[in-house]
Amino acid sequence: MKKISLFILPLILFVGLAIFLFQGLFSNPREHESPLLNKPVPSFILPDLMDTDITYTTEVFVGKVTLLNVWGVWCVTCAVEIPYLEQLKNDGKHIVGLYYDQDIDPDFGVKTVARVQQEVDQKLGQLGNPYAYNIFDVKRDLSLDLGVTGAPETFLIDKQGKVRLHHIGDINPRVWQKKFEAIYQELIAE
Amino acid sequence: MMRLLAFSLTFLLLLSPNVFASEETYQFETDAQSTLFFELTKELRCPMCQNQNIADSDAMIAADLRRKVYQLVNEGQSREQIIDYMKQRYGDFVYYQPPVNATTVWLWLLPVIFVLLGIILVVRSRQQKPVTQDKAKLEAAEKLLEEDK
Repeated sequence: MKKISLFILPLILFVGLAIFLFQGLFSNPREHESPLLNKPVPSFILPDLMDTDITYTTEVFVGKVTLLNVWGVWCVTCAVEIPYLEQLKNDGKHIVGLYYDQDIDPDFGVKTVARVQQEVDQKLGQLGNPYAYNIFDVKRDLSLDLGVTGAPETFLIDKQGKVRLHHIGDINPRVWQKKFEAIYQELIAE
Repeated sequence: MMRLLAFSLTFLLLLSPNVFASEETYQFETDAQSTLFFELTKELRCPMCQNQNIADSDAMIAADLRRKVYQLVNEGQSREQIIDYMKQRYGDFVYYQPPVNATTVWLWLLPVIFVLLGIILVVRSRQQKPVTQDKAKLEAAEKLLEEDK
């Protein structure tokens, strides 16, 4: 009896530890649950990236299911993601860009809007344009309120303007199937 | 993977001194505010980097959070208010002191359970009496002794 437990106990401990560590191999340490889930998008008043006379507020999300994609021309992964986003757009998905610039340092740097627009035009000209329009997060305030840690990140927003999914990293066919497809269809049907 | 690559590239860029030469200088009205700022930037965790506080990190998000902390401190917000502000946006992850809830309670319980288990094991092994000698064996031994005489 005692001999068996001496053998079994360490074995159980070992297997438990092995399973725990094995899971760790596949977990994404940057993934953590968004505190914003099922809450409305934080209020904002921000200009359109291409035409700064147009301003957007949370009103723009009401009435349709939106994919809000955080990106920038300086972001390498975004460039990889954009062609797939364009496919999604062609499938009828409503994709809105939340653009922020890395070089605009609210405290020090100055970069003209015209320069940013030129860079964006050039980039989207190369890669294709998946965006219905781009919201220009001039000082990255909305990004901060949304809990954005970098780019690319994507928010799935329902018809009431509530955040239903926050994805950190790029969207590719695998991520779309695993994470977005089911909940997207659900939201469309609502 | 691409993201990791992008991140390491950005990281390399940040390392080279010429790219980000701007030094942040924050001015405070009172010493208490300045102390609060430096304490908070040490206790708040950079959401982008794995284990750096926002004072330590060069990531853009860390700079943005530092600026936000500065702004909130200057508005006269208390320590708890600022921590709550950050938690509302970046979750419990952003603060180094985890809250006690159903998932994290094990961090406190497990060590206690291990110590208790250890104590139980030690106490039990002490209570066990030495093995009672076998009568037959004793007799055999005595016989041997007898024979030796």
